[in-house]
Amino acid sequence: MSIADIEPQSEMHGGTEGHHEDPVKVDGRQRVGIWLFIGADVVTVAAILFTYLYLRGVDTAGHWMEMEGYKGNLHTYAFWENQYLNGTLANPKAIYVGTLSAGLQWLTAGLTVVSAAVLWFGEKGLRATKNAKAFSPVAVVAMLLTLAGVVVSAIQLRDIPQIFVAVNDSITMSYTTYDSAMMAIVGSTLGHLVLLAFLGLGLAIRSARGAISGEKWYQVRLVRYFWVWVAISSVVTTLITTSINTVH
Amino acid sequence: MTTTLEHTATSAEPRGGGLARHQNFGTAIVAGVILAWVGWFVARHLFWSGSDNWSDQVATMTATGWMIGFWIGIGAFNAPFRWLVGNDNSRDEDLYYAGYKQGRARYWKYTTDHKVVGVQYIILTMSLLAVGGILAMAIRTELIVPGTHFVNQQVYNSFIAIHGMVMILALIVAVAGPWGNFVMPIMVGARDMAFPRLNALSLWTLVSAAFLLVTVLAVGGLPVGWVVLGTISDQAGVGMDFFAMTIVVFTVSTTVASINLITTVITMRTKGMTLDRLPIFVWGTMITAVLALYAFPFFFVAELNQILDRTVSTSFYVASGGGTSWLQANLFWLMGHPEVYVILIPAVAALFEISSVMARKPLFSYKTAIGAMVALSGLSALVWAHHMFTSGWAPTLGGPFMVTTEVISIPTGIFFLVLVGTLWRGNVWMRLPTLWMFGFIFNFIVGGVTGIYLSDIPLDEQLHGTMFVTAHFHYIFVGSVLFGAIAALAFWFPKVTGRFLDERLGRYSFWLVFIGVQLTFGAMFLSGLKGMPRRDASYSLAFEHTNFISTIGAYIIMAGMLILLGAIITSWRKGEPSGPNPWHANSLEWQVPTPVPLENFLEDPVITQDPYHYGEELVRP
Amino acid sequence: MATSSTKRSLTRFYWAWGILTVVGVVLSIWLPHRYVPRMMSNDGNLSLTTMILFSVLAAPVASGVYAAALHIMHADRYRGEGVPPAAEPIRENTKLLVTWLTVSAVLTVFVLVWGLGALAAENSTSGNPLVVDVTGQQWVWTFAYPGTHVVSNELYVPDNREVEFRVTSLDVTHGFWVVNFGVQVDANPGVITTIHTTPDKLGTIEVRCEQFCGLNHAFMDAIGHVVTPSQFSAWLSSQPQGA
Repeated sequence: MSIADIEPQSEMHGGTEGHHEDPVKVDGRQRVGIWLFIGADVVTVAAILFTYLYLRGVDTAGHWMEMEGYKGNLHTYAFWENQYLNGTLANPKAIYVGTLSAGLQWLTAGLTVVSAAVLWFGEKGLRATKNAKAFSPVAVVAMLLTLAGVVVSAIQLRDIPQIFVAVNDSITMSYTTYDSAMMAIVGSTLGHLVLLAFLGLGLAIRSARGAISGEKWYQVRLVRYFWVWVAISSVVTTLITTSINTVH
Repeated sequence: MTTTLEHTATSAEPRGGGLARHQNFGTAIVAGVILAWVGWFVARHLFWSGSDNWSDQVATMTATGWMIGFWIGIGAFNAPFRWLVGNDNSRDEDLYYAGYKQGRARYWKYTTDHKVVGVQYIILTMSLLAVGGILAMAIRTELIVPGTHFVNQQVYNSFIAIHGMVMILALIVAVAGPWGNFVMPIMVGARDMAFPRLNALSLWTLVSAAFLLVTVLAVGGLPVGWVVLGTISDQAGVGMDFFAMTIVVFTVSTTVASINLITTVITMRTKGMTLDRLPIFVWGTMITAVLALYAFPFFFVAELNQILDRTVSTSFYVASGGGTSWLQANLFWLMGHPEVYVILIPAVAALFEISSVMARKPLFSYKTAIGAMVALSGLSALVWAHHMFTSGWAPTLGGPFMVTTEVISIPTGIFFLVLVGTLWRGNVWMRLPTLWMFGFIFNFIVGGVTGIYLSDIPLDEQLHGTMFVTAHFHYIFVGSVLFGAIAALAFWFPKVTGRFLDERLGRYSFWLVFIGVQLTFGAMFLSGLKGMPRRDASYSLAFEHTNFISTIGAYIIMAGMLILLGAIITSWRKGEPSGPNPWHANSLEWQVPTPVPLENFLEDPVITQDPYHYGEELVRP
Repeated sequence: MATSSTKRSLTRFYWAWGILTVVGVVLSIWLPHRYVPRMMSNDGNLSLTTMILFSVLAAPVASGVYAAALHIMHADRYRGEGVPPAAEPIRENTKLLVTWLTVSAVLTVFVLVWGLGALAAENSTSGNPLVVDVTGQQWVWTFAYPGTHVVSNELYVPDNREVEFRVTSLDVTHGFWVVNFGVQVDANPGVITTIHTTPDKLGTIEVRCEQFCGLNHAFMDAIGHVVTPSQFSAWLSSQPQGA
């Protein structure tokens, strides 16, 4: 028998009412979990950046930032189709050159970094003062900053220009490969920020209601690990998209 | 861990649970269908119907509605919501979620007990194998003689894709799902997985995805092949949207499951369970989980890109917009080859475990076996482009990828050394698991050797895309992984049910499946050598005889699998009682009572040596 | 693993290994000759040689594992009732491990050297190939001969001259595979991929699609012919030049 005759582990039975388990153990376990989750997220972001760099690298038929067609949005779809069917579209086709500004990404990245700093600051205060009630407003501020980032990303997504291309007797909508990859990157940032906003709101409510106490500040640290990673990833992606964008 | 939940229950009857009392599989289906309808209805009115993407937008919204509805209905959002509002589960509620005193109903609920989840994975795997198997029979029936006669080409083309993906899903979870959940936590001496609720989440997200995948057949099919190459899948209808949503959810499920499994092994081992005393199966599933954690995000992104291409007209894979399906192929195979080892390694690790118990001998070269699994996982991340040797992508990289691919045969060879070395000069107990293990050894050699042919680029330029490839990976997936999975089932079945899997029926099943595999895939090799491309709904007279043999072989496999199904059902209900440790094995899962109590151990066990000490001195604490 | 303490005989094991190896070698040589279509180019011949060589190399390895498995089933099976007693514990055997690793490493290196050499041979080009533009579309192949305006659905190539296929697609990805030449490459929309080979036998060849391409993928075949250079010129000039 590989197990010794079962022997009481008295120190393991220290649970008191209201605690399921020793918080230190829960903390350690959840920390491993969050690091693994961040690991998977790193691969996801890397795959999105791989997509971006790959499409830029191949630049098939010069479509990275250029495409023959007309810039517009969904509301103009019928307009262009009408024009095309009436035969009033000018020929040859206009060349659209991608003008999407990556600059707004810096705003999002900045907001994310500041929100992470705010959360970290709040966590330090919580650890020092053990005052969960005072932490709650800090979490609210961090959440609002991420929500601002969500708004900026949404604006950026909205402004990615749609292009209308005449093919085979109809008008089809398209995006340049650059705009496509940017949509994935900005969309990913937006998704991450929504998740952060959810976590920030949770921290705010929990600390206000006492579910996060001065002793159980480790919950904040777990969230902060992920928060800091999102801030780092938003800075890294923005660095890449703003420094490596044109083909030549 | 601290006090067991059961011991601190304030009442004999389960209390708490709240909303969860009213949530089960039935409510999940109902809520899923309702929200799918809502998604469909809203999308039809929200999006402009003149757009080329309208049907894809509607389909994606419908699929999203189904998923969210299903998760609400099963109770997946209860805990996040309660976390958000700071109203965490009480102890009674945790006990309720763990399925305390709920009888069979707990198998149809969002139950957190790892043993319940393990059984749910058994049922899920068997259901997926049934769906994939029926499709396989339809495919082989179509191919019994040249010409199209049984199903038309459009249907056939859908069947091959759905058969492929369903079987891949089934095999990914076939060993790591049931046994990574049921026995692995007990093996390390834990009372449950590290994150019990995430365990239920990974199972039920997979169930919701599996339903969606099967639904693809009802919404126009997926006539594109399971690799959904960018260009051809661009032509597919709304089935492709459902497929892409399936994959997105499936990758989330796998990621969650992997995180849970790794964390359990790292943080929840009992006293004395050092890394060099871990059962090899625990090593295998953990290495697999690490690999899955790395690989599946690529699939997630690959399919998100595809969804964007289809719903908002981006140009990731669309050649006319400057995209390239080589990007899709890269992302797909960055996942796709590691995934092969995600499928293979748990089966091999389970066989290592079985070989030591059945030979009554320590596992041979324990550390080398771990090293081989680690090496295999590491290398598998560097070989993806061998699936693209003939795609025209980056011909200059052919040489390097050929090197990495062929080096894989060294760690793979170690697997044979460990298995044969363990059995050699043992007192081999010829029970059902042992029989399937020998089947594995036989088939895995065939699958492995033919893999070397395909890794050689000049030879691959003849064999790629032919039935030879199909035969090769079916020798791996059916002949090896499925055999390993059935061996694992026969081995751990007594721990789940307290009864032996019927030995006689199991043996009939083994011989039928074994012979069937040799006929089906042996003849398929010959079809491939002769030059028959894969995924063909019809073929020329030159391939007549070998295809006929393949189809007959497939029917024999089906007969064997039906007998196995019969054996499982009858043995589960009234098989020969086995007691808690029928194989007289040493690892922890056999030291706890059967049925295993909630939270497994009354007292935390202490480990003094590894579980392979057959014929050796016992170490006393 | 047979240490001196064992008295049991390994004769049966060696016999099984030997017999299975012989069977394996025979199959390795016979099956490819029996089933692989007639190979009519340098690359095709190389494929066939490689296939046979790898099979012959694999035969003793696979036979060794089979013989060991059969030997275990015969000699190590527990024939008593109930639970078998524990066997002699053997946890490691460094000599065996090193031998095993060495053999598999040597085989792998050999396979690699051979494969990389073959790859280099396949990639080398004579410099004056006949160019054929191959276009795949759902579900036909079209062959054009640059400089001649000849467009055909049947492939004609002269023997003993290198052919370069420049392959593309008009719609989805197809797989251009000349079965009897042992070469294939995908036809991708918007991209030209290239393969070359030198036919060395006269006769009929088959072109198939090996990349799933939709409804009639199974029927996307074409017939081709390897002809003498003079027949080839005659065929070219007999074709309508208008296309």
